[in-house]
Amino acid sequence: MIQKKICMLGAFAVGKTSLVSRFVKSLFSDKYHSTVGVKVDKKTVAVGQEQLDLLLWDLYGEDEFQKIRTSYLRGSAGYVLVADGTRRETLDRAVILQNRAEEAIGKVPFVLMVNKADLTDKWELDADALEELAGRGWPAFKTSAKTGAGVEEAFLTLARKMLAG
Amino acid sequence: MDEPVKPDNGGQAAEAPYPSPEDPLGQLRGLLLAADHGQVVKLQERLDDPRSRAEDVSRVLTEAIEIRTREDRSLTDSLLPTVEEAIGISVRRHPEVLVDGLFPVMGPAIRKSIASTLADMLESLNQTLGQSFSRQGLKWRLEAWRTGKPFSEVVLLRTLLYRVEQVFLIHRKTGLLLAHVSAGGSGVQDADMVSGMLTAIRDFVRDSFGGAETDALDAFRVGERTVWIEQGPEAILAGVIQGNPPRELRTVLAETIEKIHRDQARALEDFEGDAEPFQACRGDLEACLKSQRQPGGGSAPRSKGARRYRPLFAALALLLAAVGFWAFSTVSRNRKWEAYLERLAAQPGIVVTASGRRGGKFLVTGLRDPLAADPAAMLAPAKLRREDVVASWKPYHALDGELVAARARSVLAAPQTVSLRAENGALLAAGSASRRWIEEARKLARAIPGVARYDDRGVADTDRRKLDLAREKLEATRILFARGSSELAPSETGKLDIAAREIADLPALAAAAGRQIRVEVVGRGDSEGTEDLNVPLSRRRAERVLGVLRANLPDVPLTATGVGSAQPLVPERSEEDRQLNRSVSFRAVVNDLQPPETPR
Repeated sequence: MIQKKICMLGAFAVGKTSLVSRFVKSLFSDKYHSTVGVKVDKKTVAVGQEQLDLLLWDLYGEDEFQKIRTSYLRGSAGYVLVADGTRRETLDRAVILQNRAEEAIGKVPFVLMVNKADLTDKWELDADALEELAGRGWPAFKTSAKTGAGVEEAFLTLARKMLAG
Repeated sequence: MDEPVKPDNGGQAAEAPYPSPEDPLGQLRGLLLAADHGQVVKLQERLDDPRSRAEDVSRVLTEAIEIRTREDRSLTDSLLPTVEEAIGISVRRHPEVLVDGLFPVMGPAIRKSIASTLADMLESLNQTLGQSFSRQGLKWRLEAWRTGKPFSEVVLLRTLLYRVEQVFLIHRKTGLLLAHVSAGGSGVQDADMVSGMLTAIRDFVRDSFGGAETDALDAFRVGERTVWIEQGPEAILAGVIQGNPPRELRTVLAETIEKIHRDQARALEDFEGDAEPFQACRGDLEACLKSQRQPGGGSAPRSKGARRYRPLFAALALLLAAVGFWAFSTVSRNRKWEAYLERLAAQPGIVVTASGRRGGKFLVTGLRDPLAADPAAMLAPAKLRREDVVASWKPYHALDGELVAARARSVLAAPQTVSLRAENGALLAAGSASRRWIEEARKLARAIPGVARYDDRGVADTDRRKLDLAREKLEATRILFARGSSELAPSETGKLDIAAREIADLPALAAAAGRQIRVEVVGRGDSEGTEDLNVPLSRRRAERVLGVLRANLPDVPLTATGVGSAQPLVPERSEEDRQLNRSVSFRAVVNDLQPPETPR
């Protein structure tokens, strides 16, 4: 069994915790977010014949008052950026976080989850914005913590990229 | 030692090529080193010859091993895989060699192991007794009940000085779990996530309170548990410890993480998420699962002897209490049993022939008249349970008076109007009954067990009484005639009709009473006039009545007679008396069908 540490990064209230609570195995309560600033969960994915344990470091959502602790990024084999499709500024924050992560741990695989895909009528993000990111080589997925759409696919893509090295 | 290397110009040295005159440097070297050249050549030969080198090493090998072993354990660790593999191959190929070698030590080893296990078991038993009966034990039970923890866990908590419950080997950079071991019975969460979170908390503490990269959280305490963390360059070792660990345990953890870094240096350096190579460290981690029990099982200090024997005393007290309770209940039950046997013996128709106890049950055997009281029904009033008593009764006929009387009533089918009593072999009957029952009873009574004599003088024959009453009524009837006349007055015909019906009933009543009957019609006259006239007149009167009766009662024996004034019904002192004597009356004469039986 291979294990990988990955971090989940995103602005405040983009739905990271909802993604985690529905699709991964949790042991610790959410209060760790507001105290330690991180909560470690586990997600097992199968890549071909190989089982991979993803140890998810779910970092507390960053906002103008609280920055993420980059020390938590150390040793990550990859990371997940999470943005909220209904709030344009969360995508900008994701770009900032990606830069910060790359500074801290170098170039490692990552994926972008644009969450709340079930509320597309309220989206502030247009196709151009996502296309621009795709042009930069960002693997972006429209996800919904509510319906589960795109979540497994995003995790699996990240797992494949990490195993590919 | 080696032979001294002699300078010579022969042998191999002689084979060395001499420098040519055109090589002045070679000439100079030849002049300077000619004496040592042979030795150099010999040394070179020794170095090139593996056998010679092996001989050289063998001469210093033992001392070298001794010196290195004194310095550290690295030689042992290095040799360990080879030795283990060699033993494994040897066992597979030639198991008998190992068996023969181990044989002298196996017996003592097994005996020692058994003795040790027994000693542990006795110690454990003693502790269990102590914990069960002591005040401390009750306190712990209360605590277990209050906190919802199993009693065994509370005992463990209170009797251990410390116990290392879990050991985590964690990759320092990623926080990923490399290996994890836990002591039996310890609650283990998902070790992967715990490992990650522990690393996050360490990062958090270092970030929050500053410090160099090498500074880190190395201990924290949570309730009854302490977490000690030993840090290496690539990995950290975290021990979760219940209780208060000694400082020496720190050393154990430090030595372990050092050893793991030494043994797994390459695997730690190359770690990419595959923890499989670190399974080899489990032995080292398990060696850290140490524990130490409080002397005396955690009880308050007291004298060693008292502490040792307290459980024994408690067990003894319990045993005595149990014996006392058993004795009390046994005596109580025995008393109830004796009382029951006495009541049985007093019952008519029950004879107890044997009684006793076997297998916790009471036994009773004997004889019982079917008409006697039911022994099983007498158990409940005696406060004994049916399932505790095994009874065996054989039927017999008792000679007790009331049972004989009861048996006679049953056999004779005595009517309610008859009472029966048995005394000294005699059955005494009283009351009233039909002639038929009386006669049947006389025949059957002799056959009833316990009846030597039957006396029914106290039993009235109801059929005879009915016959007598009918006779008396008929004989009180008077058919009156006028003076000097033998004609029936119209006023007397009604009386004659009644008399006729009464006469008609008499034969049946007589038959029921075992008798025969005939009726005499008696004619009378008053005392006036002479007998010569009165006798014929009285006969005519009787025949006149007889004539009427015969017409209606052809089957009843009837006779008529005239007695004149010789047998007056009443003395004549008035005209009314004389009228009574001018009449016809009846006399019913009863004869026995057969001679009556003499009562016995």
